[in-house]
Amino acid sequence: MASTPSSSSSPSPSQPKARKKPGQTTSPPPPPQTKWRTGTQERLYSRRLVDALQATRDRAQPPESVGSRAVKEAADSALAMTARGQSRWSRAILFNRNSCRKRVLVKAGGKIRRNRRKHQAIPPATEEAGTTSGVLKERKVKERLKKLGRIVPGCKKLPAATLLEEAADYVAALEMQVRTMRALAEALSAAAVSVPEEEEMEIAEQGS
Amino acid sequence: MSSWRSRSQQSNSSRISDEQINDLVSKLQMLLPETRIRNNDRVSSAKVLQETCNYIKNLHREVDDLSERLAELLETTDMSSSQAAIIRSLFM
Repeated sequence: MASTPSSSSSPSPSQPKARKKPGQTTSPPPPPQTKWRTGTQERLYSRRLVDALQATRDRAQPPESVGSRAVKEAADSALAMTARGQSRWSRAILFNRNSCRKRVLVKAGGKIRRNRRKHQAIPPATEEAGTTSGVLKERKVKERLKKLGRIVPGCKKLPAATLLEEAADYVAALEMQVRTMRALAEALSAAAVSVPEEEEMEIAEQGS
Repeated sequence: MSSWRSRSQQSNSSRISDEQINDLVSKLQMLLPETRIRNNDRVSSAKVLQETCNYIKNLHREVDDLSERLAELLETTDMSSSQAAIIRSLFM
């Protein structure tokens, strides 16, 4: 057997170091599906969200109402903090908040230019249809991976495996965010309906 | 093993094994509602990635809609009075 100059780890019996260490007690991180669906995570996030929304409302000047973008930013920041900085996308969200707005605008300008270049780059790919289908499929997959990297925050230049892990975590986290925000909206609208009824009852009592 | 070696020699970026990527793609597939229902092995990784992009965009749109709704609700309701009710309902 010739020696293989492989850089990635391959399970070989001659390397017990990569195998189980008896001293380690830490378990591998739970898969994103279960991690973001536990009741504790939802409660943590909902409490953070309520606090963040209250803070946003206090910070906003009374004549100006709280904009939807401010709500979304508060929700995203709360979500990123609930992730406890364990994922790249959460760190990217938190770091982008702290940076000045000019950087965000520059990024937006860069994105528009990049989209135009992408439209020019796609026709040449289809011209090379003479290559084997395997290479073409790889190119398709790479394109989609890049697209995914642009959507998930902070994952533009990641290798494929890391990007896929981040995407899985991000999808599960977004699902939880949607669930929680919807529950909060339902609760608030239900409270809004019940409070005017109480006021009406008070007025009726005062009038009689 | 020899085919994996030849593939890694063709493209420079696949230092990570294809098996690992396929494993991660299948994990992603389990998260997406549409592909999970079908649960075929025939779903290609390109299709899964496409579905993931669309799904994330949909979730972003839902978050935007909910943010608008919450912004309107925050204007009208007084948080301090109904906060107890909110927290109670969330803990349920």
